[in-house]
Amino acid sequence: MSLSQTTAEPAAIVPPEPTLLRRIGDTLALFARRSPLSAFWGVVAAAIVLVAVFAPLVAPHDPLMANFRQMGKPPGEAGLFGTDQVGRDVLSRVIHGSQTSLTVAAAAVLLGTTFGALWGMACGFFGGRFDNLSQRAMEFMQSFPDLILAMAIAMALGAGTGTVIVAIAITRIPFGGRVIRSVVLSVKEMPFVEAARGLGASSRRLMFRHILPQCVAPFLILATAHLGVAIIIEASLGFLGVGIPPPTPTWGNMLADSLNAGLVPPWWLVLFPGLAITVTVLAFNLLGDGIRDMLDPRLRGSV
Amino acid sequence: MLPYILRRLGFGALTVLGVSIVVFVIMRILPGDPLVAIFGPDGFTRLSEEQRAHYMAELGLSDPLPVQYLRWVGDILRGELGHSFFRSESVAEMILRRGPLTAQIAFLSVLLSWVVGIPVAIVSALRPNSIGDNIVRFLSILFLAVPGFWLGMLIVLGLLFAFGYRAPLTGASLLEDPWTTLQMIIGPAIVLGLGQAAYIARMARSSLLEVIREDYVRTARAKGLGGRAVISLHALPNALLPVITLSGVLLGFVLAGSIPVERAFGTPGLGSAMFAAVSERDVFVMQNLVFLYAIVFVALNIMIDILIAWLDPRIRFR
Repeated sequence: MSLSQTTAEPAAIVPPEPTLLRRIGDTLALFARRSPLSAFWGVVAAAIVLVAVFAPLVAPHDPLMANFRQMGKPPGEAGLFGTDQVGRDVLSRVIHGSQTSLTVAAAAVLLGTTFGALWGMACGFFGGRFDNLSQRAMEFMQSFPDLILAMAIAMALGAGTGTVIVAIAITRIPFGGRVIRSVVLSVKEMPFVEAARGLGASSRRLMFRHILPQCVAPFLILATAHLGVAIIIEASLGFLGVGIPPPTPTWGNMLADSLNAGLVPPWWLVLFPGLAITVTVLAFNLLGDGIRDMLDPRLRGSV
Repeated sequence: MLPYILRRLGFGALTVLGVSIVVFVIMRILPGDPLVAIFGPDGFTRLSEEQRAHYMAELGLSDPLPVQYLRWVGDILRGELGHSFFRSESVAEMILRRGPLTAQIAFLSVLLSWVVGIPVAIVSALRPNSIGDNIVRFLSILFLAVPGFWLGMLIVLGLLFAFGYRAPLTGASLLEDPWTTLQMIIGPAIVLGLGQAAYIARMARSSLLEVIREDYVRTARAKGLGGRAVISLHALPNALLPVITLSGVLLGFVLAGSIPVERAFGTPGLGSAMFAAVSERDVFVMQNLVFLYAIVFVALNIMIDILIAWLDPRIRFR
């Protein structure tokens, strides 16, 4: 009746079951081995996401607080990135901007791609006149350059965070629709789906139990691939004054603000927000490439 | 060839019709009161009930939506694009005055994207995974991530700091004063051109890599042609077909991208007009400009399709 007996026995009988955490860890290790470059940028992307989530803790100052003793100070004299024309700390604004930009981009891509994917799934599954009409509708939506469509929608709906998300999401719908539709069309003809149909599976069961799982990988690839585009559209909307209204710090707003800071904008007001956009988009694009190559090597170079 | 062109044009007309409906739905039916947009939230609350009804009737906003839609389409067909609320110039005059500048920027940027993108892709594809190839690939990925308008702001700042130079803000036409015009368009064209060059180089590289492996290229090599002739006479013409299509799609990005980029450079083109319409909440001008951009985009794509069909007979007979 010793302590060691009671603890050792169950471990000997039940083989160690890999926990969820362990499995995720293994997948990540595989990812890092296969494409170290993507893994590096994945770490950068993760760091950016962490900064965005914990922005209030990371930022040294309140991003909205004006300080009239510290107006327009270059980096070094006040704060790491300097201050803007009303004395707000640029570093804190860039950090808080990451929160807004990432939230809006992620929400817009998820919303738009999901809606598009469901629509495309229905098109591929039902076909016929519904499919025809839907294809035309998506073509009409794609007849606008992304940014112009987003601008028009954002302007018509009026300023606000929700508006910007919806505006960007709508421009993403046709992409999700077309890709997932073609996936469904090819999966539908596969033997395992026909087998399920032969066994008497209902339409709904076929669609959700057999076809939907095949759409997950393309969906993830598509969503990560479009995150970078969404961030750039969000910044452009902010720059053009139809994004999230000031004083909320977003990278686009900050760049637009810098043009109002006098005849010649101070370089630090221009450099840092744009650098933040570039590094973030680069990180997510390269991470997306890595995810695509891992989930579906056949798609290398496409999507 | 003719049947293909006719079919493509008919299809284009259908698309323009659909696009007009989308524009109308966005600008008129989506929530958001045009009167609020015109007078601002404060001005709107100060208007009395009768005044609101009066303005709505005057602007034709109290008619049924189908009537409004048909009137708008009729106006456009007659060439009446209306007036801005804030400027004396009519929209049609504004487009004629500012349009050429943006068109020149777009043309020059496409030219630049090919001049930069194609040679780079050839070097890259001929020695895949060499140092040069890796640098090219990194640069093309980098330029996909750089927002054009930010690059534009940096260029403006850099030129100002280094040389005290600022591009002229008001310009003459290309014919009267080509030097001023060139100074105005070169900045936006470089920024937009580099952005496109990144896509073009990526596409041309992968397309070339595919074509080089084809049998007919090996045949050309086997019969003793030099490397230069094989690439430029045999591989390149076929490899460039998808690049041409991509270039057409990218033109749409140039049209849209020129809005923030012209703002960054202070270029008085159509993009600046679009920016002005947006910041003044000028709904009707915006509606017509958005429609114009969409029509230009559709028309360009039809032209590219016809060009591709002319270059590649397989497409005509599909």
